[in-house]
Amino acid sequence: MPALQKKLLLGGALLVVAVGYLAYAGMKSGWVYYMEVDHFLADDQFKTQRVRLHGKVSEQDFNVKGLDANFSMLGKSRSINVAYHGVIPDMFQSGRDVVVEGQLDQAGVFRAQVLMTKCASKYEPNSPHQNIKEQS
Amino acid sequence: MTMLVGNFGLSMAMLAALIAFLLSVAAARFRSRVFLDCARGTIAAHFVLLSISALALLAALAGSDFTLDYVAHYTERALPIGYKLAAFWAGQEGSLLLWAWLLAAMSTIAVFTMPMPRFAESSAEPAAAIATLAAVCGFFAALMLFAANPFVTADLVPTDGHGLNPMLQNPGMIAHPPMLFLGYAGYTIPFALLVGVLVGGRTDNQWLSLVRPWAMVSWLFLSIGILLGAQWAYVELGWGGYWAWDPVENASLLPWLTGTALLHSIMIQQHRGMFKRWNASLVAVTFILCIFGTYITRSGVIDSVHSFGKSLIGTFFLVFLTASIAFSVLVMIARRKLLKPEHELEILSGREGFFLATNVLLVGMTVVTLVGTIFPLISTVLADQQVTVGPTFYNKVVAPLGLLLIALMAVGPLLGYGKDAAARLARGLIVPAIAAALAMAGFAISGLTNLWALIAAVIAAAAVTAVLVDLFRSVRLFSLNHQLTIVASLAHMLPVNRRRYAAQIVHVGVILIVIGITGSSLFSQKETFSIKQNDTIQFAGRTLTLTDLRPVEAANFQALQATLQITDSHGRQSTLTPQIRQYNKWDEQASSEVSIDSSLREDVYVTLASSDGKGNVAIQVIINPLVIWIWIGGVVLTLGGLIGLFPRLARRLAAVPAAPAPAPQVKSKKSRKNRGQMGVRASV
Repeated sequence: MPALQKKLLLGGALLVVAVGYLAYAGMKSGWVYYMEVDHFLADDQFKTQRVRLHGKVSEQDFNVKGLDANFSMLGKSRSINVAYHGVIPDMFQSGRDVVVEGQLDQAGVFRAQVLMTKCASKYEPNSPHQNIKEQS
Repeated sequence: MTMLVGNFGLSMAMLAALIAFLLSVAAARFRSRVFLDCARGTIAAHFVLLSISALALLAALAGSDFTLDYVAHYTERALPIGYKLAAFWAGQEGSLLLWAWLLAAMSTIAVFTMPMPRFAESSAEPAAAIATLAAVCGFFAALMLFAANPFVTADLVPTDGHGLNPMLQNPGMIAHPPMLFLGYAGYTIPFALLVGVLVGGRTDNQWLSLVRPWAMVSWLFLSIGILLGAQWAYVELGWGGYWAWDPVENASLLPWLTGTALLHSIMIQQHRGMFKRWNASLVAVTFILCIFGTYITRSGVIDSVHSFGKSLIGTFFLVFLTASIAFSVLVMIARRKLLKPEHELEILSGREGFFLATNVLLVGMTVVTLVGTIFPLISTVLADQQVTVGPTFYNKVVAPLGLLLIALMAVGPLLGYGKDAAARLARGLIVPAIAAALAMAGFAISGLTNLWALIAAVIAAAAVTAVLVDLFRSVRLFSLNHQLTIVASLAHMLPVNRRRYAAQIVHVGVILIVIGITGSSLFSQKETFSIKQNDTIQFAGRTLTLTDLRPVEAANFQALQATLQITDSHGRQSTLTPQIRQYNKWDEQASSEVSIDSSLREDVYVTLASSDGKGNVAIQVIINPLVIWIWIGGVVLTLGGLIGLFPRLARRLAAVPAAPAPAPQVKSKKSRKNRGQMGVRASV
């Protein structure tokens, strides 16, 4: 049945193209590099991009007040200042591993829109140890 | 003592699974009924032995026996008894025991409901199915014994335990994990039946009537599990959402998507003998995705918010996953002749074509979600740079596909099989089209401009009306033919056409869920405020006053509770009391308890974000429109699923009065109801 097969092929091709386009568009807006603090500071190309950073919250340089968190995030050898405004996740503490998502500002402070805490020591069935709290 | 009993149960259970496997291999090899019966009995023994382990753990949890590491790790004396028992699945080891135990229970039911061959010569099919079940059961028992044993004892017995993580102290913890694991475990049975059919060399489609209830049960449990998880996240996490496209969430969605596809394509094979390869692949893929999801979330290969420590069980799962994939592919290739379709697809506009489209969309969504989930892995391998794709990726790709699927849902159930289906359909679409137009007009009047919301509303309106029109038309036809009232006809038809109406009810549930998701994701408003006692704020047409701020206490936590008086634009008043809790055993971590005022229209969702101890607090207010419809849709979906599964329930619900004529087949010029018989055409 060649006519039907042609139709099927055409339909399939259309669908693949459509999904491919959607996926491409979605990737472009959802694409975020994930890296460690040291890697981020070592490579200039990321300074102007939205990235997701993993590091440890400094024990000394750590200041939470109301809806603001200002802290230093430590990598292996270097550190970066992070400013976050929004609801602070329950698990956020000095010394914890955190992931922040945002961008570097002019003053060299990392402006985080997303602050996630992470605690690899225990299993949590479907109740995240991190809270994703995005600023609108 | 507990340690001994628990480990005894586990090791004997593993042994039983091994014996069951060997017995079924022997049954297939020697064509022996006796071996087959022994294998079935051994599977039951496996279940009994695992039950001993499970009971031992439950007893230890209930009695706060801190000689067990697991008990000390996840409970404390002051924990309410419900959470003490639910701590069974609070950790890696216990949740695996739960999965294994549920799998053993379902396997036992499966082996005793499986039809046994009349002649010993055809023992190969049930034998292969039982061997498959035994292998999976054995894997889980071995996994616990060698990599994640819940019965490890402590060197030093503590006087009190660590306590359960505050986030797990929520009613969601009691129901969500067992439901999800029932779903995961359940999909093993269709897989085992498939292996049986392929190895045994069966050519007919009878076995599908055995697969269908299992596919349905597992699907229902998985759906309930996912929805309960979403609801839990919504009330517990405080960010106002219920789904974040986190790897663990995706891991549960993947088998749900393929499982949904399976439920639809099974019907085509049952009616037309088509889609055999596709069905076999879906059965295998759904099982494999259940294992895959567990692998990626428990091995640490993908960073998830549901973090686990890296552990040996990742390796175990990887080996098992690889073996399952390799085995499935090999057995399907070896028996490819059995999977040839009896008919070729003739026309796209009939039911077959729509089912094909439904399947393609569902599998498309699966692939997109899968790629997104493992993208950090893909990018690391290909470009040595870890890239994550955020929720926007999924929303942009999966949401349109989902809406397209709902559009098919509006039309599909009205369609018959075969060539003239499209022509017969046209009349049924008039009313849904009017409903869609009305929805559009409603949008124009209300001044809403969001394109996605418009599309969703139009599709949802059409889909719901299509279901209602279909029901009304068949009921009216029945009442005309049998001189019965509409209500009496409905009572007669519900049991007769149970599967069809069950499916329609499930569809309505899904549409309600889509309405809830659309409303809450497109029109949510969020704001944070810093206020003190007696301050009044205005937000989204509401007045919120902080009337009280006081400490409250419970057995295992202390909390700061804010009381907010809320007046909406119609003068309706409500009171919300969000808290910041400090659990005694988790002093370094405060936990915020959300307070929600739900209505059919919208949720007012308030979180107490922080307090400076001097009477100044930060609160977050979120207005989430239509969220409640997600949960209502979930209930409707569950009800539909139950009606589909339990014919008696349908009959009782319909409370059939004395029947004048038992007319199961209604002659209708549309002859939709005869679809089982009609349309079997000679193939090419």
